[in-house]
Amino acid sequence: MADKDIEILNDRDMGVGEDVIGDRPRRYQRRRPRNVIPDYVDWKDVDFLRNFIPERGKIMPRRISGITAKDQRRLAKAIKRARSMALIPFVAD
Amino acid sequence: MANRTYEVMYIVDSETPDDKIGKLNEAVGKLIEKEGGTIVRMDDIGRKRMAYPIQKKTEGYYVLFEIEGSGQEIAELERRMRVNDMIIRYITVRVDEERDAAARKREKRERRAEKRASFRSAPEAASAPSEARVDN
Repeated sequence: MADKDIEILNDRDMGVGEDVIGDRPRRYQRRRPRNVIPDYVDWKDVDFLRNFIPERGKIMPRRISGITAKDQRRLAKAIKRARSMALIPFVAD
Repeated sequence: MANRTYEVMYIVDSETPDDKIGKLNEAVGKLIEKEGGTIVRMDDIGRKRMAYPIQKKTEGYYVLFEIEGSGQEIAELERRMRVNDMIIRYITVRVDEERDAAARKREKRERRAEKRASFRSAPEAASAPSEARVDN
């Protein structure tokens, strides 16, 4: 039913919003992948947190990951905790 | 005071000899128990490469404690960790509230799933007797 409306995309498709066609940037399309955030976000679970950290080491914005605002807050907190314990880099080059 | 659960993780300088690290961990455990806390879990993660250098060191010995208590033992433990030269970094996270929230969320979802399942099977059960009535 409602599930059909939700497009499940792979990582490569998620940056599409930044494409520029002509002189006008393309509008962001609403992409809401399935909720993939567990009930409890463990700040020690580096493998999970890495899903939301692109190469540069920044936290993936919500408009790309498509997670809820609440989940983004929980996730950001977990990532910052992991960073402070050197489990995840602040910047990766 | 209500019981709280904490996760305490610290990084020990990896150049410290193993027996000294062992002793330190033992001392931490003893301190917690002395201050009225209980150790739920103690995880000796071991030497790991750090994501970035801290105090010019690239490697650290990670130790994780899960502690239940009032919070008093955490205060004392943090005080001690701050002055200990072997410990290059530590963090304390209170986890009970978020875990409870997660458990509530899961329970809610399970209840909803159950309800949905019962709805789906109900029409079948209801239609069976009506057919029987037609036969009579």
